[in-house]
Amino acid sequence: MKGLSSLERIILEGIGKGVLVYEEIQKQTGLNENVCYNILQALIIRGLVKTDGIKYRISESLSPLIIEEINGKEAKEAEYLELMEAVVEQQEDRVFRLQKIAMDSRDEKIFVAMLSNLESFLADAHKKAHASVSVKDRKVVFWGMGNVDKIITQIVTGK
Amino acid sequence: MTLQQKTIQRYRQLYPNLPLREISARTGIQITRVFRLFNGKIMKVGELEAFEKAINAKIAENPSFEKLTSVVEQASTILTNEELAKVAEYIARKVSARTFGRFYIKPNYESAIIA
Repeated sequence: MKGLSSLERIILEGIGKGVLVYEEIQKQTGLNENVCYNILQALIIRGLVKTDGIKYRISESLSPLIIEEINGKEAKEAEYLELMEAVVEQQEDRVFRLQKIAMDSRDEKIFVAMLSNLESFLADAHKKAHASVSVKDRKVVFWGMGNVDKIITQIVTGK
Repeated sequence: MTLQQKTIQRYRQLYPNLPLREISARTGIQITRVFRLFNGKIMKVGELEAFEKAINAKIAENPSFEKLTSVVEQASTILTNEELAKVAEYIARKVSARTFGRFYIKPNYESAIIA
């Protein structure tokens, strides 16, 4: 598997710039004990996490090749799809909308401006609550827009 | 990895944590022989076939697997190399997520449970 799974990413985000013991990582991520342990071991084997046996931290000097592998375009796209699929498939408390909307150019500009405001709002919200809200309690938010004809072409031709 | 090792690993993936007595009953191979096979003794063809039969029986319990193999065959002739890579990545991610949820990351047939 290329890149990181969303589970591995959650662990890395849980550790962040800190040096954490196992229980703190579990608390941050909310992962089941087996899952948390297995993923940490996998990250250690890959050289992404270092441990002295008690505390864990993200490896400092990662090679450009590894950084590209975990943060490159393909890796990120695979993670995005993984998360979006999970949101779409949620059984309870699902918040999801997808519609094909008829929009004139004026309304499209207004909508794009609204998205820009939304992005600013979310950036501020994250900055404000970043230190106090654990990784497991954060929200996965996504939005996007595309033209039906280009999307259909993409689906049919793969390009 | 040898064919024997692959077969045993596949068997243990499909039948995790099964006691030796149970493996013996399912394959028809004597219990002490099963222990020796799991510890590196060379498998006879008949024994390999017994494990393969048990593996195929388990796979047949899941009708979606047949659909998957059929679609993969079609995909190999129609999809581009890049598209096939994306499909492979998607499946690999699903497998990775499930694997993380298991007790062991790698199947360990050296620690066969003796009932």
